Formats: sequence, structure tokens, C-alpha cells
Amino acid sequence: MRIVVGVKWVPNTQAVRIDPETGTLIRKGVPSIVNPHDLPAVEAALRLRERVGGEVIVVSMAPPPAVKGLELVLGMGADRAVLVTDRVFAGADTWATSYVLSRAIQKISAEIGRVDLVLFGHETIDSSTSHVQAQVASWLDWPYVYYVSSIEPLGDNAVRVERELEEYEEEYVVELPAVVSIAIKAMKPRPVSLQSKLRAKLERRIITWTNADLKLDPRCVGLKGSPTVVAKTVDMPEVPRKKEVYRPRDPKDAARWIIRKMVEDEKLREVMKGIVGDEL
Amino acid sequence: MMKMDCEKLCPEWPCEPPEEYKDVWVVVEAEEGKLSEASLQMLTPGRAIADKLKENLVGVLLGYGVSQLAEEVIKYGADRVIVVDDERLSTYYPRVYGSAVVELAKKYKPSVILVAGTRRGREFAPYVANSLKAGITADCTDFDVDETTRDVLLIRPPFAAILLAYIKTPFRRPQIGTARPNVFPVPKRDEGRRGEVVLERVEIGQESRMKLISRRKVEKARAGVEKASVIVSGGRGIGGPEGMEMLRRLAELLGGTVGASRKAVDAGWADHEMQVGQTGKSVKPILYLAVGISGSAQHMLGVREAQRIVAINIDPEASIFSQADYSVVGDYREVVPALIEELEKIRKGGVKALREILES
Ligand SMILES: Cc1cc2nc3c(=O)[nH]c(=O)nc-3n(C[C@H](O)[C@H](O)[C@H](O)COP(=O)(O)OP(=O)(O)OC[C@H]3O[C@@H](n4cnc5c(N)ncnc54)[C@H](O)[C@@H]3O)c2cc1C
Ligand SMILES: Nc1ncnc2c1ncn2[C@@H]1O[C@H](COP(=O)(O)O)[C@@H](O)[C@H]1O
Repeated sequence: MRIVVGVKWVPNTQAVRIDPETGTLIRKGVPSIVNPHDLPAVEAALRLRERVGGEVIVVSMAPPPAVKGLELVLGMGADRAVLVTDRVFAGADTWATSYVLSRAIQKISAEIGRVDLVLFGHETIDSSTSHVQAQVASWLDWPYVYYVSSIEPLGDNAVRVERELEEYEEEYVVELPAVVSIAIKAMKPRPVSLQSKLRAKLERRIITWTNADLKLDPRCVGLKGSPTVVAKTVDMPEVPRKKEVYRPRDPKDAARWIIRKMVEDEKLREVMKGIVGDEL
Repeated sequence: MMKMDCEKLCPEWPCEPPEEYKDVWVVVEAEEGKLSEASLQMLTPGRAIADKLKENLVGVLLGYGVSQLAEEVIKYGADRVIVVDDERLSTYYPRVYGSAVVELAKKYKPSVILVAGTRRGREFAPYVANSLKAGITADCTDFDVDETTRDVLLIRPPFAAILLAYIKTPFRRPQIGTARPNVFPVPKRDEGRRGEVVLERVEIGQESRMKLISRRKVEKARAGVEKASVIVSGGRGIGGPEGMEMLRRLAELLGGTVGASRKAVDAGWADHEMQVGQTGKSVKPILYLAVGISGSAQHMLGVREAQRIVAINIDPEASIFSQADYSVVGDYREVVPALIEELEKIRKGGVKALREILES
């Protein structure tokens, strides 16, 4: 089975700080990482390969420093990586991202070998849209399914997946080729082996494709090819709140202050009524 | 709307004048003979956009045996409902459901399509958008209309949640957006409201490359945060799973349920389903009690609709203090047990016990 895993190189949003003076984001010096939600998808691919054989290819549309992230994923055991990188791809929204990724997947199919399965993470930590999976499935005209917590091979031509909706657990058989989106924390990603990471580096198992290779119309990629446009940004409007802060003498005092608020505040009174009844 | 210069646009996009696109659609999900509350909520912004554009609000209802629900959609504010009642839609598959919406959209050319950001909605909406070669904006928190261009502005916070981005798709129609459940209220039901019901057919075949094998309803043992009127949420400051148990006791006494910040979820003390915030749930309780939560923009985004926020935090500088109604500076390990003790007295002794506590 030839499995492609889509992995994004993202700014470590946990490290983004807010400038207390200006209230703006400090992005400078923020390190990038492999999107953590993509690692369970890599793990799922490696487990499938262990059971049925084949090859795991990681693909990322990203600027050149993403090579570092791809080396990590190769260190987990992926067979090769394709870095799709070009200045014209910059500023892409999810539509333009999915366009480039699906063309890259088709090129892998044509030049490396038929792709049977494409796995994605649930969402990226910097945009959290979960769009790319369905968009790629639409470009490829393949069946697809989200929120998958487990995936099992079913012969050569299908997989059985389990997935969770708000109130249902479902099981599907999906014919290959297909796109599957792996749920957050569905599988614990294995650690990176320094040895395999080094070996991958020596064997130069990262291929780089630019738009000279993909030959996409520049009007369809990057910022130009993005149907969505950010018209403006404004500060998030503040919700008016009472902002009463109390420094209690002791814990009991704190508890009583809160309880008093639950009687005096007309809204919270409803909650207290739920406890002592309507005669309050 | 800007003047179209088709030469400049991606040839994948059909170059069509946006004036041909009219009406605001809301795709309304139905399950087990009932309309989903999350999709009814989408009729609220849908109505507002339609009024601003002076166009119709149209509900799109797909499924098997769903026709009788069409009138309901009108009572909640739609002017018209397009219904496809078809056995082939009796099982939901993202591509079948999505393709049905695509087919209808190609025929009717709506200018806007709104989809509730339920798990299914988030799954099929990007498929619809891509198949129509249109843009899509996820997790909108508001919408507006640019009066000069008539572009719809899809408003959402980027990852930092201290800003709101106004997103538009000036060259493409329809304009597609999702919003998470509970970001908008369900519109008022108007029993007397009349509208038009249109029965439609679609070509789409059955999904032949994917098959549902089994499906079972999971009884969620504890009431979800979405519906709770009291939520006691724990953050990293609670320090461990025992802290979460203490909060559970407090929530029980208050007649509510427990929630968590992302750091508490990441630490493994709470289930992802309990996470409140930008990438978790949006909640609208009467009382939101935040314990050991610092008040990050991403967390607070999920509690904008809470009527009252009470915070317990040990750090007098915690930013949640300027975003809550009532805050107590203190160690939750002391404050919460004291609160539990008093509430137990009140539970037992009723109004009388409450009076005693207030008078002491
Ligand atoms: C794209 C993106 C999406 C995100 N989405 C979400 C989301 O949906 N939900 C979410 O919650 N976060 C989200 N985050 C994370 C968010 O930025 C914060 O990191 C997180 O909310 C912090 O959680 P916290 O308040 O529990 O932890 P901290 O910020 O570490 O705060 C812990 C607090 O506990 C207090 N404390 C410590 N000990 C005690 C004690 N004994 N008694 C009382 N108080 C004590 C401390 O003073 C401190 O204020 C997101 C981040 C990004 C980048
Ligand atoms: N630039 C990219 N390169 C490779 N994969 C991506 C890229 N962007 C998104 N993905 C994949 O698509 C998933 C959903 O992304 P998003 O729609 O941004 O939340 C991610 O978890 C990744 O698996």
C-alpha cells in the first residue's frame, strides 16, 4: 500500500506572545514545528505499512526550512518526503493549498507509483479549519471520511475505519483510493529515531518540487489563487463584565463572598434558586 | 463587487458575474426526525444577512422522510425551503450529501451558503465549497455585508483570538461559511409564519465506494458543556486529575457540569469533549466558574456568551480578572473546598441555611 501523509510546518502557536504595549502578536523569532495533530496520521500510516507492506510518503507544502520537520518524520520511519515549495505558493488559503497538494499527489502517483491512501491530521494549530482533507478529496474525486480513530487494512483495496461524531460511533468500509482524516490524539506517535533520521539524511530521501515541476497556473496558486481575501482586521470587541476582584481574609470568607454574589446578582440568583427553590 | 477581469482569475474558477447569484442558504441538518439545533442557530445570521442584502433566506433540507420538517424551518425564519426527500439520502455520506448541495447550488445560484459547524457540517462543507470552486471560511463568529460591493464579510478570529479578521471572496460565489454550535442563538419560533416549500430532486447516485457498517449511539454519561447552565472549568492551575474530581463535586452541587481549558486537556486531566474555547466548545451557561485558568484569548473566546463569569485564581495579576464578573484571589485548594462545604449546608438546609451563611 502506498500511503501519502500530509504534514504542515506551522509556527509554534504556544510560543507566540502578545506585546503588552501594543497588544499585537509577536511572531518574530517564533520557531516552527511539525503540526502536532499530523503526527497521529504519520503513526497510522506507519502501522498500516507494518501490516501490509508498501511505502509511506510524507508531503508538505511549505517554505524550505520545513526540511527540518520532514527529517523528523523520516526519523519516525517514513520512507520518503516530498517538499513542495515555491514563492508563488505563498499566502495560499485552504483552497489554493489543497490545489497544490492534490496536484503533487497526482504527480507522486504518476512518477513514483499509484497512491492508495492519503492521510491527514485533523487540523492545523495555526488555522484549525479542517478544510484541506475534504478539498483534496474533491480534487481527486475520492471517497473521504473525518474523525477517524482507528484504521485497519481490508485486503488490498479497502480499509475499515472507526470514527466518532457528537453522539454516534460509526464504522465504515472505504474503498481505495481514499482520503482519511485522523482524529486528534487517535494514536500516540512513535519517537524519532536519531539513527533513521541520519540515514534518511544521508540517503537524501527528501525530494523538492517547485512550480517548475508542478507547472501550475500562477493565477491558481498562493495568494492570487486564493478565493478568500482578508479585507481587514480589527481588535476583538470586549465583552462588558463587572470585573469585581475580591481578596478574601480566608477561604470561608471567599466562599461566602461568592455565595452572596449568587443571591445579589439577579442572573446568578437563578442558579441559587435551582439549589434552594423558588422561595428565595 | 469589483469589476471582473476574467483574464486575471484562475481558469479553474468559472468567471460568472456575481449579480447572477441571489439568496442566502442555510443547510439544515435533520437527525432522527428532528432538526439539528446547531443548524437552526445558523438561521439567525442567515436572516440578518438576507435582510441586509434584501434577499430571501432559504433553508435546504436533505434526507429521507424529512419533508414534514420543512414548515418548521419556515417558522424559525426561512422564506423558502428546498427539500430533497430521497431514499438515497437515508444514510449520510459526506460526498453524497455534499454533491446534493452542489447540484442544487449549481441550479439556483445562491450568493451565500451557511453550514452549522457540527462534525458532519465541518466534513461536508469544504467538499461543497471545493466542488463549486468557491472559497470557504470556517468558524465564523459574525457576518456583515459590505454595502458598496454587496460582498458578505465572514468574520472570524485568526489563531491569536485577539483580532477579528474580515474575510470576503470578491471574485467567487457562493460565499460559504461555517460557525461552531452555540455561537448564535436559535431564532424565535413564529407559529404563524408562512413560506414556500419547494420539492427538488437530485441526480446524485448512492456512494458506492464507501459503506456504513455499523452505527451506535453513545450515551454520554455526563451532560455536555454545550447545554449546561452552570459550568465549572479547570485549567492548568488545578495541577492534576484529583483537582478535576474536586471541581466535579462542586459542579454537582451547583447543578452543572465540568469543563476544561486546553492545557488541562493536553495534560490528560480532562476529555477533549470538555474543552472550552476557540478550538473547543463555545458555551453559554448562566454561570461559568473558571478555576486555575489564566484567561487566554483563545479560552475566553468560548465563553463570550456566558452570562456571568466567576474566577478563582492564585495570581493577583491573572488576566482573567479583567475579563470576569466576580473574581477571588486565592488558592483553589482552599477556596473550592470551603465553597463545597457551604453549598452542602445550603443543599441540606435550604433557604434557612443560606440566610445563616449570608448573615454571619
Ligand atoms: C490556535 C490556538 C487555539 C487554542 N484553543 C484553545 C481552546 O480552545 N481552549 C483553551 O482553553 N485554550 C486554547 N488555546 C491555548 C491557550 O492559548 C492557553 O495556552 C490556555 O488556554 C491556557 O490554559 P490555562 O489557563 O489552563 O493555563 P495557564 O495559562 O498555564 O494558567 C494557569 C492558571 O492557573 C493559576 N493557578 C495556578 N495554581 C493555582 C491554584 N492553586 N489555585 C488557583 N489558581 C492557580 C495560575 O495563576 C494561572 O493563571 C489555544 C491556543 C492556540 C494557539
Ligand atoms: N501546507 C500543507 N502541507 C501539507 N499538508 C497540509 C498543509 N496544510 C494542511 N495540511 C493537512 O491538512 C490538515 C488540515 O489542515 P487545516 O485545514 O489547515 O486545518 C492538516 O492536519 C494537514 O494534515
